[in-house]
Amino acid sequence: MNDHADDAQPDLPGRERRRLQASRLIQYLLLQAAIAGACVVALLQSLPGPPAQYRMTALQLTDAGIERAVTLPYFSPRRDAMNDPPRFSGQFVRPASEAAQPWSVFVPRFTNGVEVTVNGVVILDSRRDPAANRPDRNTPAIAVIPASVLRDGENAISIRLFIWGPITGFLDRIWVGPDAELRPSYDLRTLIFVTLPVVFSSWQAILAVILGIMWVMRRHEPAYGVLAAAMAVGVGQAFLQTPMGETPFSKLNVILISSAPIESALVLTFALLFSGWKWQRYGWILFIPGVLLALAGLFGNQAMVRALFLILAVPMVGISLLIMAVVTARSALKRPNVASLLLGCAVTIMLTCWIADLLSVFQMTPNRIFTSRLSYSAMLVAIGAGLTWRFARALNQVDGFAGRLVSQVREAEEKLKVSFAREEERARAAALARERTRLMRDLHDGLGGQLVSIVALSERGNGSAGIGDAARAALKDLRLVIDSMDDIGGDLMLALGSWRERAMAQLRPHDIALDWRAVTPQGVPVHPELRPWHVIQIVRLLDEAVTNAVKHANAKRITVRIETLAGADGHERGCITVEDDGKGFEITSDGTAAGAIKAARGLRNMRSRAARCGAELELSSCAQGTDQGADQGTRVRLTLPHRFPDSDGAAG
Amino acid sequence: MNSLSEGPKAEAITVVLLEDDAPTLWRLQDALTKAGYQVKAAGTLAEARACLAQGAPKVLLTDLQLPDGHGVDLIRETRRRFPDTEIMVISILGDEESVISAITVGATGYLLKDAFPTDIAATVRDLVAGHSPISASIARFIVRRTQSTPEPPPGPALNTTKLTPREIDILWGIAKGFSYAEIASHLGLSRQTVPGHIKNIYRKLEVHTRGEAVFEAVQQGLIKL
Repeated sequence: MNDHADDAQPDLPGRERRRLQASRLIQYLLLQAAIAGACVVALLQSLPGPPAQYRMTALQLTDAGIERAVTLPYFSPRRDAMNDPPRFSGQFVRPASEAAQPWSVFVPRFTNGVEVTVNGVVILDSRRDPAANRPDRNTPAIAVIPASVLRDGENAISIRLFIWGPITGFLDRIWVGPDAELRPSYDLRTLIFVTLPVVFSSWQAILAVILGIMWVMRRHEPAYGVLAAAMAVGVGQAFLQTPMGETPFSKLNVILISSAPIESALVLTFALLFSGWKWQRYGWILFIPGVLLALAGLFGNQAMVRALFLILAVPMVGISLLIMAVVTARSALKRPNVASLLLGCAVTIMLTCWIADLLSVFQMTPNRIFTSRLSYSAMLVAIGAGLTWRFARALNQVDGFAGRLVSQVREAEEKLKVSFAREEERARAAALARERTRLMRDLHDGLGGQLVSIVALSERGNGSAGIGDAARAALKDLRLVIDSMDDIGGDLMLALGSWRERAMAQLRPHDIALDWRAVTPQGVPVHPELRPWHVIQIVRLLDEAVTNAVKHANAKRITVRIETLAGADGHERGCITVEDDGKGFEITSDGTAAGAIKAARGLRNMRSRAARCGAELELSSCAQGTDQGADQGTRVRLTLPHRFPDSDGAAG
Repeated sequence: MNSLSEGPKAEAITVVLLEDDAPTLWRLQDALTKAGYQVKAAGTLAEARACLAQGAPKVLLTDLQLPDGHGVDLIRETRRRFPDTEIMVISILGDEESVISAITVGATGYLLKDAFPTDIAATVRDLVAGHSPISASIARFIVRRTQSTPEPPPGPALNTTKLTPREIDILWGIAKGFSYAEIASHLGLSRQTVPGHIKNIYRKLEVHTRGEAVFEAVQQGLIKL
């Protein structure tokens, strides 16, 4: 059984494991002993009988022509002939006052059959009731004495006891009295020994169907098939009646006779398979008693079958029970689970009852109530409960598995989403890189070369310096465009590094020093959401600031400060400041330059670029001539957003 | 800056200049001649080879796209024949495509075609002094190649496994716009040793077997078979 795997104990050190097993064994044995004790106590209880005043125990027995006084209950020796059965006769008194109510004869227990005669009239022949003919059932018999037969005062009763084996004859005490007094006791016995077994047999039939379906659906678990077969045999045995005498179907008795050993062999096979045993060839040994008995039934006579039954079937049942007790105890030790425990308890109950029955057969107990068949219902209950338990557990496992699956699928989905987004991002970056490479080659081969030629030509000719500057500016912009398309992984410092080189190349001919100060070691924070167009806006804004300083301020030194500031909202924000020591200009109240129109346009451009990136631009300028020596010149302070906007913001 | 730069010895520095665009060639030649270098100008690979046949120059400046071939071949030849010759590639944009492919065959620097004359002279002077120029974008390209990525990034192939962690740190500093002095102080180096490290980096990126280089040149589309 595969589903036991999760019950397996984790590996423990040998001594620990042995101690655990020993304690488990003791617990298990104590439990079984308690169950057996409870069974014994229950078996010792005698069933309540009708009032003692109607009981007849002292009778005259006429057996083989010899008459003697006996006291019931009486065990009679086995005999195989039906003719001339032992006859018990006695007298009972029906008071005249009781004439109004019907009287009955109640025979609670007998083997194998009784014929009751009152005042020479036969009022009961149990042989006509097939259920009563089975010695393993404790079928009671009751018969109302017809009023016409019964006399006031003394009445004669005689009982003929038919014995046909395989065990000795038996007649329990009998009661003769008012039907109303005897009936409850009869009903109780009928309920326990007739109705209840039928109920259990129905239950067994249902189990046979359930287990059969289970086996058909799960062919890899033959244990279910074996158990289903056992149940089917049991049901057949219970519901097929045994006709007396030689009928055309009497050979069918074989099935019924051999049912007990075959059923016990099947149940034993099930228990072995259930405990993890693999079917072996020698397993057929278990079925030998049943098959022998069946063969005897087919080819031998009834007497032989009955004799064989005692020596084959009864021990087979007992041996099966003993083996099962050991097997279930072992599996309860190795992998404790509810199904094994229930099975073990049922086996203990059955074994106890079987021993009690054996004692009764050998007349070592004063009474003869066979409980083996009845105790089999404990096994049926255990099987049903075990099945239900396993089914519920399997459902729970399925639920758990489904739950796990759902959460795993959800996790995988999340991962997939993330990896898809990452993959998309990577693909986008790769596409951009390829595009950049292509663009770079195109520009390198075409536009770039031509611009370089323009620069060279303008330097050779006279008075065309403006053209050269323009071409140089175009080349610079070309490099910026290509550079900003490069994947810098959100680290603006990488873009600023390239910008520094270009700015230095630009400033060198003008003899302007570039003072580069990265105030915080990492410069500005890394922004994963930084896109090439953000970079272009920021770099062009900085270019604009530098160009203004070169063209309009007559500066000698430009200072670029790069730092990370802790904002009021707790977020770190990058800050880039471009400061010159030039002459500065007036800034009107609306923040535009009051000076040259060109410079004013430059400032407006810078504001617009800053707004697109969500950055704050702060301009301050002091016209030369004020006393604020340290603060002279122009300062452009760009505070980067905590998060760059995804789409191009409105131009400010 | 250096005694080599303006002494009479400057006369002895020979430069072979290979550039197919005539105005650019004149411009570069002018700038170098005025700075006192002895320049042999060439417009094609054949002319350049003829110049090199006369003896090893101190410096080789070469464009890559040439009418009769590719500058990469000349760089490789020169590197093998004259290991002491300093080689620089003349690039229009200073982009990694041209610069890195030249570095892998033995160039140790690059020169922008539109650089100002003073910058041209200064760059060559630094190169002769053992200082290889490197741009932030080239440094960025190299350090990005040192980071493992699931798929090879676009652009020329580059084997960065020989670079030491310190060299990678220096490249990061350059990529982020720090000056040599700042890098030196961050890494606890002497400022003078940084240019030497950069030249070492270039040397480590050089591909030494001819087959490998040709394969890579074909890979990056510089050579069409």
